[in-house]
Amino acid sequence: MDYVISLLGPMAQGAKTTLTLFFVTFALAVPLGLLLALARISHWRLLSQLVNGYIWLMRGTPLMLQMLFIYFALPFVPVVGVRLPDFPAAIVAFTLNYAAYFAEIFRAGILSVDRGQYEGSKVLGMSYLQTLRRIVLPQMVQRVLPPMSNETITLVKDTSLIYVLALNDILRTARGIVQRDFTTTPFLVAAAFYLFMTLLLTWLFQHMEKRYAKYDQ
Amino acid sequence: MAPYHPSLRAPARRLNMKKLTAVFLACATSLLAACGQGDDPAPQASAPAARKIVVGLDDNFPPMGFRDENNQLVGFDIDMAREAARRMGIEVEFKPIDWSAKEAELNGKRVDALWNGLTITEERKKNIAFTAPYMANHQIILVAQASPVQNKADLAGRVVGAQDGSSAVDAIKKDAQVAASLKELKLFGDNVTALMDLSAGRLDAVVVDEVVGRYLASKRAGQYRVLDENFGTEDYGVGLRKDDTELLAKLDQTLDAMKQDGTAARIAQQWFGADIIK
Repeated sequence: MDYVISLLGPMAQGAKTTLTLFFVTFALAVPLGLLLALARISHWRLLSQLVNGYIWLMRGTPLMLQMLFIYFALPFVPVVGVRLPDFPAAIVAFTLNYAAYFAEIFRAGILSVDRGQYEGSKVLGMSYLQTLRRIVLPQMVQRVLPPMSNETITLVKDTSLIYVLALNDILRTARGIVQRDFTTTPFLVAAAFYLFMTLLLTWLFQHMEKRYAKYDQ
Repeated sequence: MAPYHPSLRAPARRLNMKKLTAVFLACATSLLAACGQGDDPAPQASAPAARKIVVGLDDNFPPMGFRDENNQLVGFDIDMAREAARRMGIEVEFKPIDWSAKEAELNGKRVDALWNGLTITEERKKNIAFTAPYMANHQIILVAQASPVQNKADLAGRVVGAQDGSSAVDAIKKDAQVAASLKELKLFGDNVTALMDLSAGRLDAVVVDEVVGRYLASKRAGQYRVLDENFGTEDYGVGLRKDDTELLAKLDQTLDAMKQDGTAARIAQQWFGADIIK
C-alpha cells in the first residue's frame, strides 16, 4: 500500500499531461468538427467534397501515424513545413483527427432534424443561421450525446498514444516505473486513473442526457 | 446527400463560413499558444556553437537514465552528461525520446546528443558521429533459473526476446549461425516486457545490455540466470550529428579528462558498484 501511495505523485503528473491533451483537444475539435459538419452538408459541392476528402484522410490513417508525420516529417515538407515542439504537435494531430470523427457525428445529428422544421422556420422569417442556432443545433446536441460520449471516452484512452513522442502521460509514466521497479503494480494504478476519468465522463454525459430529455416530454 | 437536404434550399442569408473560420482559427491559435507556455516548454535543439545542448535519452532505461521516486531524471549517463556539460561550461537539458526514433530526433535537430547507453555499431556510424567509447558492455543472455538452456547452442529451436531497436538485436543477427537456429526472435518495446514474457514462459531467453540486464535481474533475485556465453562485447559512446564536429572534439576532450582524473570511475562506482569505465 505504501508502494502504491508512492506512485501517486508521478502518476498525478502523468495525469496532468493526459488531461491537458484531452481538454485542449476536446475544446478545439468540437468547434472544428461542427464547422466541418456544416461544410460537409453545404450546397457548395467543392467545399463538401473537400471536407469529404479530409474526413477520409483523417479516418483512413492511424492517429499514431498522423502524429509521427506532424512531428517528424512536417518540418521537411516544403512551403508548409513547420517544426512543432512535441506537445503542440500532439495537439494538432489529435484535434485534426478527432474533428473528423466529431464532424460525422454532428452531421448525423443535423440531418436527423426533420425538413419540416426548416420550412416552419422559414415561414417564421428566420435566416439559415437563426434556424441553425435556435432550432437545429439544440436538437442536434441532444441526439449526438450518446455517440459523443463514446468518442470522448475513446479520446481519454487514445491520449496514451503520445508515448511515441516520449511524452509522459499516465501510461508511459506507469511503464517507466515498471521498468525501474520490475513490478506490474503501476499498471493497475494507471487503470484506476483511467477508470476514474471515464467514470466522471460517463456521469457527466448521463446527466446531460437527462437534462436534454426534459424537452421531449 | 439526401434530396431534401436543408442546405439545398437554404435562405439567401447563409452562414458566413469565412468569418466563422477566422474566429475559430484565432481561438485555436491562442489556445495552442497558451498550452505552449506550460511547465514543459519543448527544448529547442541548438546550433553547434550554442551555450546549451539537448541530450536525448530513453528515460525508461535504468540504471543509465530513468526517473526516481520523485519523478526526477537520474542515472549513470545523466550524471556523466551533467559533469561533462559543467566542464564544457554549457547548459544541458534532458529530453526523453522514443528510443526507436533516436536518429530522427538527432538529425531533425530536436536533440543534439544521444547519450543513453548508445552502442557504437558500424550501421549507426553511417548516420551518427560517435565519441570515443566510454564504457564496455556485453550482450548477455538471461534465462529462467530452472531453464535447461546452458549456452548459445541450446538456443536452437527456441524463442528469444530483445528490445526493438536495441543493439542486442544487431548482436544476435551478427551471430548468423545462432540467429538462424532460433525458432523466433521476438522484439519488445522495452526490456522489462521481454523479461516478463520470459517469466510467463513464452520466451526461452532474453538478450539484453549487461548493465540493464543485471540491474533488472537483481530486482527479481533468484528468477533469472545469466549464461556464461554472451553475444559479444561492444562499446558505449555518445552520439552526435555528423556535422557537429566542434562539439564532438570538445566532448571527446572532456570525456578523456573525466577518465584521466577518476571522475568517471567515481560515477561508475556510484551506479554499478564497480569501475567499468573504458
